[in-house]
Amino acid sequence: MTDPPVMVGHRCAICLRIAFPPDPYGCEKCGALATELDEFELEAKGSVRAVATVHRHHHPSPSTPFTVGVVELVAGPVLKAIVEGEAVAVGDSVIGVLVDGEDNDGNPVVDLHFQVVT
Amino acid sequence: MSSRSLLSDRPVFVVGTGLHPYQRRSETTYVDLGITAVRAALVDAGVMWPDIEAAYTGTALLGMGSSRIMLSRLGATGIAMTQVENASASGSSAVAQACLEVASGRSDVVLALGVDKPRGGLGAAPGQAGIPNLEGGSIVPFTHFALLASEYMDLHGVSDEQVARVALKNHRNGSLNPFAQRQKVRTLEEILSEPISGSLTRLQCCPVGEGAAAVIVASEDGIKRLNLDRSRAVQVLSSVTRTEGLYGEGVGIDAALTAETGMAAFEEANVDPSDIDVLEVHDAFAIEELLYAEALGLCKPGEAASRVESGDFDIGGSCAFSPSGGLLAMGHPIGPTGVGQIAEIVSQLRGEAGDRQQPEARVGMAHMVGIGAVCVVHVLRCE
Repeated sequence: MTDPPVMVGHRCAICLRIAFPPDPYGCEKCGALATELDEFELEAKGSVRAVATVHRHHHPSPSTPFTVGVVELVAGPVLKAIVEGEAVAVGDSVIGVLVDGEDNDGNPVVDLHFQVVT
Repeated sequence: MSSRSLLSDRPVFVVGTGLHPYQRRSETTYVDLGITAVRAALVDAGVMWPDIEAAYTGTALLGMGSSRIMLSRLGATGIAMTQVENASASGSSAVAQACLEVASGRSDVVLALGVDKPRGGLGAAPGQAGIPNLEGGSIVPFTHFALLASEYMDLHGVSDEQVARVALKNHRNGSLNPFAQRQKVRTLEEILSEPISGSLTRLQCCPVGEGAAAVIVASEDGIKRLNLDRSRAVQVLSSVTRTEGLYGEGVGIDAALTAETGMAAFEEANVDPSDIDVLEVHDAFAIEELLYAEALGLCKPGEAASRVESGDFDIGGSCAFSPSGGLLAMGHPIGPTGVGQIAEIVSQLRGEAGDRQQPEARVGMAHMVGIGAVCVVHVLRCE
């Protein structure tokens, strides 16, 4: 299996807080200016803390049903993202995968989803 | 804390409440909704409109400048009118501002009104903050709470059916409330049907309709001067607003924020969680009642589902949760919701809640959270 994609978050040079997504304004922990927030690479790899399959959605994209998860990255940050497939369970190991899709206006986009590592 | 001395140095009382039924969006104007609730509150309080010295209108969806065109139809008295927007807690924040206005000594009799009409979409600002995330638009509020439900059920070994029992109870309470948007008793089977997201079903998600709620708050001086019925005045012991802090990666923000706001409110009110007889919580989604019961210290972590199942949180149980029907059944028209919670608690503490009356209710609490995240908690007590 290929290496998972790398996610770019930030690390605050003042308080060392690591965060994702990267922030254009400032550090939520210590208030440091955005100029103090250094790019910080996070491996898109972690485990599922919570999962829900969405049956109703008000927008055309993504089409239902789709599954979302709370993913705890090995690097620390916890985030929410789409997890591919419906047989996703709490505790599953997941890695990031780049997926071609469309936004609500039909424009092509590349999204980072996660998928279960078997 | 300065807010503690303010509410105890110059006590604030709710002297009147009024509601317009919560309902699906209709042709009724927001002006009609609002003045119906205010007129009912004036009658309930025995106060004339010209006695009102300031008005705060909790609204998130109407657009700018809603108050004067509405309230001047009761008489253009020229008083200060201010819209208060704090997402789902807009009405709670209108109450908080009205209490502050009275406690500060600036006014003796003040109106807090909540009124809204849904316009399709909430138009929340965080989506325009320029801080993109991976979820994009795929995680709306019901999915946020479906994920919290997943985590809670996994952690505590709780079933879908046990979470659904919160909705079973609150729909039953709503069936007894003539102002509720949903007034039907439902079966567990009905509640478990129609999945929306994760384990959450349609009847475990609140309806967002329209409506209005009003409360009038007054000082001791105001009560004396206007010769109001002191026996029906309910004291506001605490009014606390907080916003989300950093709680550590993966910690559920809604419960953590509720815990710290609740703790501050108990401290300001000088009461313990065990003193609470009746409370209205932000049960926009069924799982929330379980999370907040534990966060507020009304039961131990992991215990809330079994407390619901045993009937402890029913009207007549050890502590009645959302006797109005809560957001799940009474409804969540946004601006009115937090004000309507205060109206229900006041009705309970006065012993005027009829079929929904929690026996011997003395101390009550109202709790709202909103996008941001924000949290507003009030504790009230009857003499």
